[in-house]
Amino acid sequence: MVPLLGRSLILLSLLVAILGAMLAFAAAARRSAGGALWTRRAAYAFAAIMALANGLMVYALLARDFSVGYVAQVGSRAVPAWVAVVSLWSSLEGSILFWGLVLGAYVAAATWNLRKAPADQVSYATGVWLATGAFFAFLLAGPAQPFATVSPVLEDGPGPNPLLQNHLLMIAHPPFLYLGYVGMTIPFGLASAALLTGRLGADFLRPLRLWLMLPWTFLTVAIVLGGWWAYEVLGWGGYWAWDPVENASFLPWLTATAALHSGLLMERKGILKGWTVTLIQASFLLTILGTFMTRSGVFNSVHSFTQSAIGPTLLVFLAVALIWSVVLLATGIDRLGSSREIGAAASRESMFLMNNLLFVLFTFTVLIGTVFPLVVEAVRGVQMSVGRPYFDRMAVPIGVSLLLLLGVGPALPWGRATSEEVRRALLPPAASGLVAGALGLALGVENGWTLLTVAFGGYALHVTLKQLWVPARLRVGSGLGAAAAELLLGSRRRTAGYLVHLGAILIIVSIAVSSTEGRSTEVELAAGESATLGAYTLTFVGAEEVQEPHRVSTIARVAVRHGGRDLGVVEPRMNQYEMQRQPIGTPAVRTGLTEDLYLSVMNVDPAGQRVGLLALVNPMVGWIWVATGIMGLGGVLALVPVRRPQRRPAASPVAAAVPEGMR
Amino acid sequence: MNRRVLWVGLALSVPLVAVLVANLGRDPRAIRSPLIGRAAPAFALPTADGAASVDLTELRGRVVVLNFWATWCIPCFEEHEVLARGAEQFADRAQFLGVVYQDEVEKVHRYLERFGQSYPSLLDEGGQTAIAYGVGGVPETYFISPDGVIVEKYEGALTSRALSALVESAARHGAGS
Repeated sequence: MVPLLGRSLILLSLLVAILGAMLAFAAAARRSAGGALWTRRAAYAFAAIMALANGLMVYALLARDFSVGYVAQVGSRAVPAWVAVVSLWSSLEGSILFWGLVLGAYVAAATWNLRKAPADQVSYATGVWLATGAFFAFLLAGPAQPFATVSPVLEDGPGPNPLLQNHLLMIAHPPFLYLGYVGMTIPFGLASAALLTGRLGADFLRPLRLWLMLPWTFLTVAIVLGGWWAYEVLGWGGYWAWDPVENASFLPWLTATAALHSGLLMERKGILKGWTVTLIQASFLLTILGTFMTRSGVFNSVHSFTQSAIGPTLLVFLAVALIWSVVLLATGIDRLGSSREIGAAASRESMFLMNNLLFVLFTFTVLIGTVFPLVVEAVRGVQMSVGRPYFDRMAVPIGVSLLLLLGVGPALPWGRATSEEVRRALLPPAASGLVAGALGLALGVENGWTLLTVAFGGYALHVTLKQLWVPARLRVGSGLGAAAAELLLGSRRRTAGYLVHLGAILIIVSIAVSSTEGRSTEVELAAGESATLGAYTLTFVGAEEVQEPHRVSTIARVAVRHGGRDLGVVEPRMNQYEMQRQPIGTPAVRTGLTEDLYLSVMNVDPAGQRVGLLALVNPMVGWIWVATGIMGLGGVLALVPVRRPQRRPAASPVAAAVPEGMR
Repeated sequence: MNRRVLWVGLALSVPLVAVLVANLGRDPRAIRSPLIGRAAPAFALPTADGAASVDLTELRGRVVVLNFWATWCIPCFEEHEVLARGAEQFADRAQFLGVVYQDEVEKVHRYLERFGQSYPSLLDEGGQTAIAYGVGGVPETYFISPDGVIVEKYEGALTSRALSALVESAARHGAGS
């Protein structure tokens, strides 16, 4: 019953998406108002059907209905209800179904948000969204069928991948990632519409930026949540390994970040229209490439789903989307009417260009490192992998340069400036940079790149705080409340941008410090024995085995002292899940303001009371999570719609009062 | 039509797609079992009904088809028929054995009652035998030659064709050496 109903819903969604997409293109080409109305209705209908299909699957997972193919594959009577629900995205078919839900929600929201935008452009965009929707509905109808009928019905299932059951962060990471990935469909559709109509005017720029900002914010948070989860669960002590699938999520983030910056320039100066559109297209295409990477079985990674039939189908879609994008770009780019005036070398405009070049360079660097093993395999038939040394060597200089730009860019004035003005803008923050560098030296930073990062971080921090302060300063006279109101309402977008910058500075510095200034040790301890790591003394108290409904945990109890202070007992553990072969560890992470103590069980013998421990001291890791929160807040602040009583051409009096160079 | 954009776009996209196409169907995790060509790890395990015990060393002289399975595994169910028929077809040359992997005894009993099995299934309490064979998931089937050497390991649901071919090859291995 449930499989049949589910399959009917999927077929219906496929039908609605195909008809809706065809209708949308026809309506756009003929500028038909009635067609546009029905296009919108098709978009809402697609969203509703996808929501129903997902609801049905969640019901089947909770009811442990093993007659449904996907439930038989990932369901289990032994797992708690929350695990049953998150199983929705734990495996291939369910994750594509969930993709459909997110896509439907995005399409419906964007359709509603753009109901008053130019009808022909919105119809073209809706056509692209629904065509994408049709592809994913097709996947669900054939190659990745979640609602297959299982006969005879077995008694129980294996349960989802235990890595998913092991930490609450895993509830959050995949949905955020999908919200980031799938959301790139919306700006892709809008960019296609701009190219198809040859118009990219002010009325279309704002929604384009908004609908890029939204998935970008989700993607930012998702990438770091993934790193955080790896840190808390995988037990090797780090948060980023340049794994192909980590790279897959990072690539569209890089191009989208570049697009957000070039989009700002496009909005302000009318330049770089074609370039921004290209970056938006690339962001979408890279999400599809990333989806292929995770689901084709071609890349080896902790994330990859089992070998599946959807690889070739996804590849066809990627190829079609690539050709569509290239042809559309080639035919439409000259009609967008981009201005070619860039400006002086030492201006904010040229820093934006530098920023874009660096982001694109970064994208190619990561893309080449990720795909290179495949090239070697195809050409020479040899298995190889590109390891961290390549990525670290390439990423560090690019990242440090971007950090420098984070300081220099916003410090420089727009347009032409005299060398005196340039000097006045660039020199004062250097003092903060020097102070930060000296502070780093005093705290014992030895790595040259890290020291440089800390100094550039100080420089950028100075500039960012100053830029945040400017609009507030003019209102402080009327009280702190007025200053805060100006920051959050009057200069909202600007405040949002610099909040994101603040988070970015903090992240880059924290990554540099945590990956170069930590220390670690591996020890084998019997009960009562101790080991030291820096100022920490670790004493193995004992190990015990605990039975839980769906797993058996072996817990090692380790007493921690720092200096003379007793920090209590931490409990890293090994979990053996039912019906799964390998045990999965849960490290004990003691997060502190300046550093984390990270203990991971490598092996534990409860009978002999012995434990093999990996112990690390990771400085500043906690700040990565905090900084991501700041970036996310910035993103949200940029998105919150603010109603103003009326729009005046001269913006706010504050903006008019700010000297040109400060804006 | 801006030809430069077109050519640059194609120059970037076509090689990327070509590389991905060339790698389709490759399994980066496929690593040959190191046990192939070596003596099969010995075991003596009780049958599921508890009536008897099977010792691998006593089966020398015949091909042994050792199938790790579980009641919660769909591909195991898919190959169930294939194995049952194979056990009858090769009854003169090969001994088929099932080893239950990570499961509960009652569920195994109910499963065997419901679907039947023409050869013994053994209980591997604590999973020591699965560990000795390096089982990575179920179903996995090991083909052991009459002189006790692992000739092949098959991952996933068996087809009758693959089963026949592998039994034959295991039988030849014994005769040739």
